[in-house]
Amino acid sequence: MSIRTFRGGAHPPERKDRSQEKPIERITSVSQVVIPVNQHFGAPIQPLVKVGEFVKAGQKIADADGRMTVPVHASIAGVVKKIEPRTQSNNTEGLCIVIEPKDPPEGEAAQEFLQPLDPFTCSKDEALARIRAAGIVGMGGAGFPAHVKLAPTKPISFVIANAAECEPFLTIDERTLIETPEKVVEGVAIVMKTVNAPEGVIAIEENKKHAIPYVQKAIDANPQVKAGMKIRVQELRTKYPQGGEKMLITAITGKQVPSGGLPMDVGCVVSNVGTLCAIVSAFREGKPLIERGFTVTGGACKSPKNLIAPIGTVVADLAKAGSIEIDEEALRKVIFGGPMMGVAVPSYEIPVQKNTSGVLLMNEQEATQYEEDTCIRCGRCIRACPTAITPALLAIAVEAGNYSEAEKIGLLDCIECGTCSFVCPAHRHLVQRFRVGKQLLRALKQKEAQNAK
Amino acid sequence: MPNKKMLLSSSPHAFSPVDTPRIMLSVVIALVPATAYGIYLYGLPALGVVVTSIAAAMLSEFVFRKIIKASTTVGDFSAVVTGLLLALILPPSTPLWMVALGAIFAIVVAKEFFGGLGANPFNPALIGRAFLLMSFPAAITTWSMPKGLALAADAVSTATPLNMIKQGSTLADVAKYFGATDTGAFYRQLFMGYRSGSIGESSILLVLLGGLFLLGIGVVQWIVPISVLGSTFVFSWLLGMDPVLGILSGGIVFGAFFMATDYATRPMTQYGQALFGIGIGLITVLIRKYGGYPEGVTYAILIMNTLTPFLNKLRVKKYGFVPPPKPAKPTKEASK
Repeated sequence: MSIRTFRGGAHPPERKDRSQEKPIERITSVSQVVIPVNQHFGAPIQPLVKVGEFVKAGQKIADADGRMTVPVHASIAGVVKKIEPRTQSNNTEGLCIVIEPKDPPEGEAAQEFLQPLDPFTCSKDEALARIRAAGIVGMGGAGFPAHVKLAPTKPISFVIANAAECEPFLTIDERTLIETPEKVVEGVAIVMKTVNAPEGVIAIEENKKHAIPYVQKAIDANPQVKAGMKIRVQELRTKYPQGGEKMLITAITGKQVPSGGLPMDVGCVVSNVGTLCAIVSAFREGKPLIERGFTVTGGACKSPKNLIAPIGTVVADLAKAGSIEIDEEALRKVIFGGPMMGVAVPSYEIPVQKNTSGVLLMNEQEATQYEEDTCIRCGRCIRACPTAITPALLAIAVEAGNYSEAEKIGLLDCIECGTCSFVCPAHRHLVQRFRVGKQLLRALKQKEAQNAK
Repeated sequence: MPNKKMLLSSSPHAFSPVDTPRIMLSVVIALVPATAYGIYLYGLPALGVVVTSIAAAMLSEFVFRKIIKASTTVGDFSAVVTGLLLALILPPSTPLWMVALGAIFAIVVAKEFFGGLGANPFNPALIGRAFLLMSFPAAITTWSMPKGLALAADAVSTATPLNMIKQGSTLADVAKYFGATDTGAFYRQLFMGYRSGSIGESSILLVLLGGLFLLGIGVVQWIVPISVLGSTFVFSWLLGMDPVLGILSGGIVFGAFFMATDYATRPMTQYGQALFGIGIGLITVLIRKYGGYPEGVTYAILIMNTLTPFLNKLRVKKYGFVPPPKPAKPTKEASK
């Protein structure tokens, strides 16, 4: 089997060894959950419960009308204590519902799940309705509503399971592939059925080669595959950002997602391993997305491990309960997500949410800050950029405020993977500039459009 | 949670260990063999030139940046690289005060006046040499014989192979002058570096070794050196000159690996780099054939430096490039 990849990229130190051998532990009892109301990419939604109300695990506690909305469910049975703004994992304040565990009143169940639904006999609309009702979003990081992604308006030829896990440190997808490969394979089958795709590909980076036999076995044992469905494993070169949606599509199909377009424009649907497992649970058990797997690791974490915990579990509570050990002295930086695209947060009193793939507790050495130096024009960023947008030249245009030139170079095509800033020998804040620049350019274009009217 | 402040920053939170000082230092390391051989060939005067040039470059950068109240950048080793490169492209007999003047000019005028590291439009070391060549043409074109080389004419000062060709000697004459029995042996002699010339350019072998080291560790990319050498070879041959001698003599190999690849002054895009290299080869050959100087690498690179901002516009197509919709052709009815 050939190993495939994309053009550009870099290879940051993997640092996965500390947690990759640790089986996933399930956290069942927590002292509270803090559930952010808005955890998806799209229109905001509103709480449906009041303070003091008893909620069951799996009960819908926030929702709104609209295509780009996804409901949120209580992840434990208990009483709503507070509904107030709290710091979320993206380092902004957002409305959160705080629930403390409590036994249900006499004669009532502690959980309220949906009815199981057979994904292979139900209609497409039923399937999409179920995926929305279960509150499923892209769990790789972006939080894009899954029911929107799985309703493409163009024919799909590939469903790609994103198990690249190209971010250093993170190992949760790897553990999932080893421990519950059958769930991942079934997830691919369900998505293939939903979008009517002829081929499914499970994309795994070379550094997780040892997981491939497990996955292959699960593919061979899958009833849908036996009935003729085509699902295969594709090995990929270990390189960041291999798990970027566009890079993954290019590595597997050789096609490029057109600028400004979507994966469906080249006939692909890409889903993260975690999302696929959540979809399987939503159909088979009727279970909404109320828990997720993530990796807790980093130099200031004495007990690197992989966990499954209720959505809304506060990292500090995990430490208090002894589930994880934090080296307070060494701790310098807390990151939600991986080191390449994750968000640094001011404390670890922050809840895990639907798109939290990892919590990094970094020590002094890992959190070294560098002074920004002058660009020496070495061209490393240009060779590393997976979208070939010449970051060095783009940075000049953005700094000069020349947004028409920046747009021509490809500012809006930047996927913000951070490879340019990683390789820069002068530690230039390249991707950081592009992030701000993108927003300014979008605002500028919006203004222009308004003026044109 | 203790009251300790957590560090906050925008991602990425990981950085490559390759930083600017490390890159500059690797260039210095790549130049060590050629430098050592130059000092072996020409003795103390060459050592004096190297030390003076580096010291003057570092000191002038330090002092200048102090005067303009800018941050001290001597620690990034870029001044060492400039000083060393300048020394290696000067004749070993250059008076030391001239060397110091050239290094100061290179750093202060060619580099710092334009904003320092990364902002200079022209290669500082080459500007230093060009400045000396114009100010003191006699001194900068006086070549010493390497130690122990059997001479046809017994003189302390001599000519470079390209000098002699320029003055009308045939290849066989030049070979004989440098004590080689035939042209094949002469080529080998040039490759190994037993001939007169600038301190660092003598041995093609050692220069190549340094260049390949930089290629190997990814500090320079192959596009510029290959296109420079390839186009020099092709254009020499097209203009009826000996292409092998064109590569082996003079500073084209040194220039291709260490001068043309200078980050700040070569284009950053691959198409730009290819054209840049081809242009250097062409101009070098044109100067050698028709120009007033026997050697043209310095001016060829400086001339192509001027085109770098334009060559940078030759970007590769971005990922997922969609050609902009062509403006609809006016229909016949509309044009009437």
